[in-house]
Amino acid sequence: MKMKFDRQFWVRCAAIVVVLLFGMLMFFIGKQHTILLDNKTITVNGQEIRALQLVEVQVNKLESLELAARDRDKVDVTRQSHKITITYTDSNWNEISFTRKFKVPLMEEMVIISIPTLVSDPEADQSLWLEKYELPAYAIQASPEEEVVITDDLAGLISL
Amino acid sequence: MTLQRTKSQKVLRFLGNNTVPILFLVICAFGIPLSGYSTNYLVSEVVVRIARNSFLIVSLLIPILAGMGLNFGMTLGAMAGQIGLIFISDWGIVGIPGMLLAMIISTPISIALGLWCGKILNMAKGREMVTSYIIGFFMNGIYQLVVLYGMGSIIPIRSSALVLPRGYGIRNTVNLIGIRKSLDNVLTIKLFGVPIPLVTFAVIALLCIFVLWFKKTKLGQDMRSVGQDMEVARAAGIKVEHTRIVSIVISTVFAGYGMILYLQNIGTLNTYNSHMQIGMFSVAALLVGGATVSKANIRNVFLGVILFHLMFIVSPMAGKNLIGQAQLGEYFRVFVSYGVITISLVLYEVRKKRDRGDAGQLLAAEQGEAE
Amino acid sequence: MNTQNMISSVKSTLKSFGLPRIIIGLFLLLLFILAPFVGVNIGTSLSDTLNRFGMNAVMVLAMVPMIHSGCGLNFGLPLGIIAGLLGGTLSMQFNFTGPSSFMMAILFATPFAVILGWGYGQLLNKVKGGEMMIATYVGFSSVAFMCIMWLLLPYSNPTMVWGYSGSGLRTTISTEGYYLHVLNDFFSIRLTEHLTIPTGMFLFFAVLALIIWAFLHTKTGTAMTAVGSNPVFARASGINVDKIRTLSVVMSTWLGAIGILVYQQSFGFIQLYMGPFYMALPAVSAILIGGASVNKATITNVIVGTFLFQGILTMTPSVMNSMIHTDMSEVIRIVVSNGMILYALTRRTEATR
Repeated sequence: MKMKFDRQFWVRCAAIVVVLLFGMLMFFIGKQHTILLDNKTITVNGQEIRALQLVEVQVNKLESLELAARDRDKVDVTRQSHKITITYTDSNWNEISFTRKFKVPLMEEMVIISIPTLVSDPEADQSLWLEKYELPAYAIQASPEEEVVITDDLAGLISL
Repeated sequence: MTLQRTKSQKVLRFLGNNTVPILFLVICAFGIPLSGYSTNYLVSEVVVRIARNSFLIVSLLIPILAGMGLNFGMTLGAMAGQIGLIFISDWGIVGIPGMLLAMIISTPISIALGLWCGKILNMAKGREMVTSYIIGFFMNGIYQLVVLYGMGSIIPIRSSALVLPRGYGIRNTVNLIGIRKSLDNVLTIKLFGVPIPLVTFAVIALLCIFVLWFKKTKLGQDMRSVGQDMEVARAAGIKVEHTRIVSIVISTVFAGYGMILYLQNIGTLNTYNSHMQIGMFSVAALLVGGATVSKANIRNVFLGVILFHLMFIVSPMAGKNLIGQAQLGEYFRVFVSYGVITISLVLYEVRKKRDRGDAGQLLAAEQGEAE
Repeated sequence: MNTQNMISSVKSTLKSFGLPRIIIGLFLLLLFILAPFVGVNIGTSLSDTLNRFGMNAVMVLAMVPMIHSGCGLNFGLPLGIIAGLLGGTLSMQFNFTGPSSFMMAILFATPFAVILGWGYGQLLNKVKGGEMMIATYVGFSSVAFMCIMWLLLPYSNPTMVWGYSGSGLRTTISTEGYYLHVLNDFFSIRLTEHLTIPTGMFLFFAVLALIIWAFLHTKTGTAMTAVGSNPVFARASGINVDKIRTLSVVMSTWLGAIGILVYQQSFGFIQLYMGPFYMALPAVSAILIGGASVNKATITNVIVGTFLFQGILTMTPSVMNSMIHTDMSEVIRIVVSNGMILYALTRRTEATR
């Protein structure tokens, strides 16, 4: 097959590139992330930030979650840029509510947001209160016995 | 000039040409009341199966057009689709974008597999069906090599939930919760209490329109000529081998997409078994719809899906109510599935001989007239 | 001059032998050589291989008649296996034990094999040209049909039926107490602690092979070969092509029945329901590995092929497991057996329809 760099060839190349780009777009649009919302007392830069007694958190337009001290909840979102809306009552019995935009890094499946840190400084850079979360090894579901892989042709003729 | 036939000959011929669908109608007519299922249940189940399986069955039409017989090699397309799904599950891509990405990933794999399969089928002219059948089994071995040994070790898989405890190889079942029913749920309407996934049907309709349009294109007409007579087509200047390979490639690619559609409806991927069953069931369904090894159209697809799956659904309960063992019903439907393929294949061969005999009769009659 | 002749003659032998077979043979040799270095006992391996050879040889032999008569590879072997299963279960039902159990099993199986084989043969005669595909599905349908039958047939022997309901056969039935190892132990020679030669099985296979070989040299046998290689010429010579083909199918089915009985007496279990479903494929690949083609097969093909195929099946798991601690045997089996069939199907054949 001779290589002819004619019009047809370039059109086909362009089509393949378009499809690849589309695929990448799908990757960005469809990537799912799990955001853990953490309301624990943590120490940041040597300073201890206390957990809030009760805080209402809403991510994007999803249903809003209530977190007491030491609570943790999670939401699943797709795409990278999101909004988080926090509502809480401060020590002077004022109800404060603010919304903050943030971006989830593309390749991280699970991130954890420390709510107290965010509340203490709403304008802070997100790297302060959002970080990647790795599941501890025991949490990964392993099958109880050595999972036998059924490779035999016979299995499962019955179910559709 | 056509042969004059008596009315009874015509009726017999109609019965003969449509033996399998009629047989199935009879089985369903018995089975449905025996099973005791409500009409509503049956209708909604059948609608689900149509939405799930039709795409796969339509992908079988093009090789039949090109004279390659029943393409058991659609298993290869199914494997490509599954590999695409494994990757998007690993990367955590969900919803429609996930499905589309899986389709994009499966396409080059399907094309490569289809090219290889087509080449081998060209080396086994006259025995295409058995060869494609064995190719399906052979590729199953290669697929296992890739998925059971390669993934996780040579091919990086990030999600440990997908990988077997031993560190490499994908687990028996992959949860497709991310894309589960993503296409179906886009727009579902309820008609008389039966949920109908409109977008899925729209996609299937698009494929049918594509097939109909394709038959009218030059490539489609070429395939038809190749299917009817390879030597005549070659004499007419058609690149016979190339056309045959193209038909297999198209079929394999569509089988890949069809598998993804199928799996998004089910929601779970049975990593090592789904693709093997699907070939057999799709072929059986197509044959039940009245298709033969050399002739199949859209009508056969839908009639076949409805009849075949009706039989499939009612058999266990019918068996239980008739003899007291549901297991019997399950074996019965396996038997009927294979039996229908056997009968269709036998009838096809017998009819081929009869048609040759008829052609001889016709020729003799014409010669008799000419004298 | 001499070396050139040698090279060309070596080349032509290689070509006629076929590259895949050479690769498989060398691979098996390699496995045997590697075995002692990875801690696998050669004696046990050889013993296992010989044992499996005996178990499968008769079923591979069953391929020969149909290949000779031009019916192609007998993918419908399950039909013969079913006849054998019926014979075996009947023999157990009537409580025959020991060697007589085996004899009675063969006796019971024979009428089934003849009837099923005859029907199958008639069917194949009507579909000349598409035999292999139809054979496959006839095999599958009959296994599925028998699944229903195993549930319904009135067997009553308590070792065979389900405990609770008392009716319906179990999926696997042990042959212990009936005809387990009747052939294996017959005159078995124990060479070393690990190496035992199941002479009984070999003798049995040798007898059957001899019968087939002798048959193929009789008048009917040569007629069969003629039908396979040139049906038009055969018909012109006055041979009843259909009758010969049916005869070959009956023989094949009967050998399949005997074959599964030999297999079971060594294996120790009768596998019902979906057991026989895919049993044709190993036999088909074995004979193809041995050098047969879709329309030509000899007894040598049977022996060589079964040995190579079963050798690979036995050696690969043990050697590979010890070497790289991975059990890839299943994948290798699938690739080798189906690849071999694929290779055979893509060869050009000279047979006319």
